[in-house]
This record gives sequence, C-alpha cells and structure tokens, in this order.
Amino acid sequence: MHRRLLITMALLLAAGPAWGQSPPPTDQAEQVKALLERVVQLEKRVAELEAKQTAAPAGTVAISNVSTAQKTEPQEAHAMGHMDQASVAQAETHYPSLQFRGFADVDFSATDQKGAPSASGFNLGQLDLHLASPLSKKISYFGEMTFNAHPNGYTVEVERSIIRYDYNDYFKLSFGRYHTPIGYWNTAFHHGAWLQTTIDRPEMVKVGGTFIPVHFVGFLAEGNIPSGGAGLSYNFGVGNGRGDIISRPGDAGDNNNNRAWVANVYSRPAKLYGLQLGASVYRDKISFGGKDYREWISSAHVVWTRGAPEFLAEFANVNHRQVLTNLTSNSQAFYVQTGYRLPWFENTLKPYYRLEYIHTPKSEAVFGNLDLVESIVGLRYDISSYAAFKSEYRHASRLPLTPAVNGLFLQTAFTF
Amino acid sequence: MKDKHKMMAAILWTMGLLCGLLPWPSAGQTGRGADVAIVVNQDTPVSELSLSEVRKVLLGERQYWSSKLPIVLLIRAPVARERDVVLKVIYQMSETQYNQFWVAKIFRAEAAAAPKIVYSNDMQFELIAAIPGAIAFVDARNVRPGMKVVRVDGHLPGERAYPLR
Repeated sequence: MHRRLLITMALLLAAGPAWGQSPPPTDQAEQVKALLERVVQLEKRVAELEAKQTAAPAGTVAISNVSTAQKTEPQEAHAMGHMDQASVAQAETHYPSLQFRGFADVDFSATDQKGAPSASGFNLGQLDLHLASPLSKKISYFGEMTFNAHPNGYTVEVERSIIRYDYNDYFKLSFGRYHTPIGYWNTAFHHGAWLQTTIDRPEMVKVGGTFIPVHFVGFLAEGNIPSGGAGLSYNFGVGNGRGDIISRPGDAGDNNNNRAWVANVYSRPAKLYGLQLGASVYRDKISFGGKDYREWISSAHVVWTRGAPEFLAEFANVNHRQVLTNLTSNSQAFYVQTGYRLPWFENTLKPYYRLEYIHTPKSEAVFGNLDLVESIVGLRYDISSYAAFKSEYRHASRLPLTPAVNGLFLQTAFTF
Repeated sequence: MKDKHKMMAAILWTMGLLCGLLPWPSAGQTGRGADVAIVVNQDTPVSELSLSEVRKVLLGERQYWSSKLPIVLLIRAPVARERDVVLKVIYQMSETQYNQFWVAKIFRAEAAAAPKIVYSNDMQFELIAAIPGAIAFVDARNVRPGMKVVRVDGHLPGERAYPLR
C-alpha cells in the first residue's frame, strides 16, 4: 500500500517541472486540484509515519506482524525524505541556467492605399527568440534575436545581447546592445508583439524607424533610488549612438568618435500600484549626409498598466542643431493609448484606441518629413494565456497632400 | 480637420467613461480561510514589511535583502489557496495575468527567472531551510518551528488587521 503511495508521490513530483514550465489551462484546474488534494493527503500520511517512527521506541507492541510494519514504514518515510531532498535539489538554481522563449506573429492587412505595391495580404511578422541565463547569483545574460521576412528572404538581427552584474537593488551594471531606455514602450515590449496590446508599435518607436534611436550599444547602469513610497528608479547609459544609417546603432563601432548618453528616471508610487511616470533625456552627435548635428531628445511618459483600464501616453521632442550653421529644428511626437480589459468572457477581451501624432518641421534635415496623424481602434482577444488575436481599423494621414489611408489589420501573436 | 479632432476626443472620452463605469476587478481579500503567513529563512535580515514592500518583492522590483543576499521567491503551484491569496491581495492579477507578467518581466531583462513553483508544504519548508533569502507564503496553521514569520504592516497572522487572508 505504502509502496503504491510512494510511486504515486514520485509520479506527482516528476510531473512538477512540467507544471512549472507550463501552468495548466483552466479546464484542467479540477484535475490539478484533485492531484493537489492527493499531495496534501500524502503529506498527512508521511507526517503520521514520521510520528509513528518517533513514537516506536517507547511503544509496547510486541506482535510480530506489527513490528514488521514498523520496520517498513520508517524505511518508506526515510525514502520520502530523500524524495523531498531530491525535489529541493532540483528546485535550487543551477548555473548557468538557460531559459529559452520565443515570440511570433502572423499578420493580415487590407488598405485602400493607392499605388502601393501590396495594399493587402498576409505577412509573417517577426520570429523572436529570447534567451535568459543566470550565470551566478549576481550575473545574468539576456539575448534577443529576430528573424524578419523580406521580399528576397530573411534577415537575422541581434536585437539585444546584454551581460549584467547586479551589485544590489540600487546598482546594476550591464554591457551590450539594448533597447534605448527613452520613454516607456521601447523597453517595455521589445519585439514581442504578443506582449503589447496593439498589433504594431507606435510610429515614434517603430523598429527600423528614425524618430528615436531604438537600439543602443554600450553600457547601462540602473537601479532603484532610495525614495520611500515614491518608488524611483533610474537608468544611465553611455554608448555609440546612431550609426551611419541613423535608424541603426553603431554595432561595429562609433562612426564619429563621439559617445551618446541617455538618462531615464521613473517612479512607480507604492500607493498607486500600476502607475508609472518617467522622463528621459538622450544626447548624441549625428554624422549624416556629410554634416554633423547635435541631437537632444527629451521624453516623458505616464502609464497605468493594470489592464482595467490600461492607459499609456508618451511624448518626445527631438532637437537637431547643425554644428556648422547652428540651424535648429524641433520635432514632436506623442501617442495616447487606452484600453479596457472587459470583465466578461474570463477577461479575455480588451478593446482599445490609440491616437498617434508626429510633427517634423520643414527645417528638419535629418528625418525628412515624418508627419503623421493616426487613429487606431481595435480589439484584442486572448485565446489562451499565451496566444492572442488582434483586429484593428486604422485611419492614417501622412504628408499634407497625401490622401488618408484606411485599413483593416489582423494579427495572431503568441509566445512559446 | 476639426471634425476629426472632435471624433478623436469623443473616442477618448468614451473610453475614459467606460474605464470609470465598468467594475474594477476585486483587489481585496479572498474568501474565508486561515491567514497566509509570510515566512523567510531564519537568517534573513527582515522581520517586518509593509504590504507595498511585499508587493515590490513579489513584483521583482526589490531583488535583494542585502548586497550579499538575493531574494528567492517561492510560490505555490496553481489552485493552492496560498497562491490565490497572493495573486488576489498582492499581485491583484488573475492566473493568466500573473503568467504574462513574469514572461514580460524576464523578457525585459528585469529578472533572470520567475518565482520557483513549489508543490507541497514539505517542499516549501525544505526550500526555506535550504535557500538563504527564500521567501514563501504558508497557511498560518502550517507554520513550523525554524521559520521566521514576517510581520506585514505591523501585524502577524491571526491579528484582525492582518492583510493576507
């Protein structure tokens, strides 16, 4: 009988890691509950056995078959103890401990854009692989690679590659390729479309876009600032800044021997759980088209991330000053996104709306014209804990003389 | 153009109104049951935390008890009552939101690993004893000698104002 219990226990413990990697879906909850109740019963039984083991020396039982049982039960309890130790050893962290996760999406779009080579059709989106590996108690590695579909094939991009040393909560130092900590979106969602409510990033932080430098190669210091209930944290980094192609960082070196720096401070107030307020500045010297420009980016954001409601708002001003002529331009961009996770259908539905705006003056020589006013209305449906369907209607106006474009966009995004 | 702005303002206003009118998910205490004690290894240099500090620990915003002692989070597997209490009172998230939160947290490189999942009280007790810096959530009736129970907002389990139940 006890042997059977032991086998059952061993099977349950062996199933444990599988649960850890992939929590059971809701429809298996009853089964899990039953199994957990069984574990509780087994624990009680083990406790009883242990109690008997303790009480045995003082006992007066002399019947032979009972004494056989007493010999067996302590042995099984001892084996159970070994099993607990084995599961404990398994649960302890081992180094390195590589974790691997992927993100992917498949998209469909149909627009009324005139003359576009492909106003509608399917699109494979990004296949995004993420690696995280603690190398010791205080050192961790993080990597992110994407596979991107293009007309002539696929490109592979190292999006992030970071090694980080944690001294404590107030100081963590890392080196590598980052998403630049300007504003909120760029460091909150990275390339995982499943993580974000909407189908695409806002235009101002679009991957491959130019408005802010999305990537950054260098070092970054980050941590909490002792501030009580204000919950302040900071990032400060120094790196190569924009490369020859200004949408890309200087992966292989600094193109103008002038380092960029970025500073970001944000607050997560203890009494307003879900709220984050922050401000960032970024300073660089850009060499573009044979001319040098000083770049100042200032940004602010306020977000409420609880999902019911969700509110994200971010603003950035990019100042470019040509070094030779002192000709200055200021470009502004913002987005406001709001959504609400409905309390019905097990909280799987989230309607949302986003307004985006970008203004670039005629004097802007680095970006050219990026003007945009766009409205997006959409609905996200979480078909499981790790997959979602999204549908959007977009209305976008770009250049003053270009007609507005309307479009329907669909996406399924998931993590695996 | 003015009409467009009016339309955008109307959409934003409607979303804001919906946010205000629709019911918020319950953030309070769970149904009846024993208090859930926060327990740590005997050598952990903490004996009292505020509820917001507990939340910071569980959200991975505080990851060290001291420079030399990282925090190791232990969370019971789904359906355990201790986990329900932690999700509802501290995280204020559903099971799905909790899973998504930790996927995102690791993806942002803000944490190297999610909380360790424990499947039984015994396993939890063994891990608390074996891992310096471990913190776990235990039915107050099952607290065993050798564990340090942390006060929350100045209260111990069993006291009327204790928040985790």
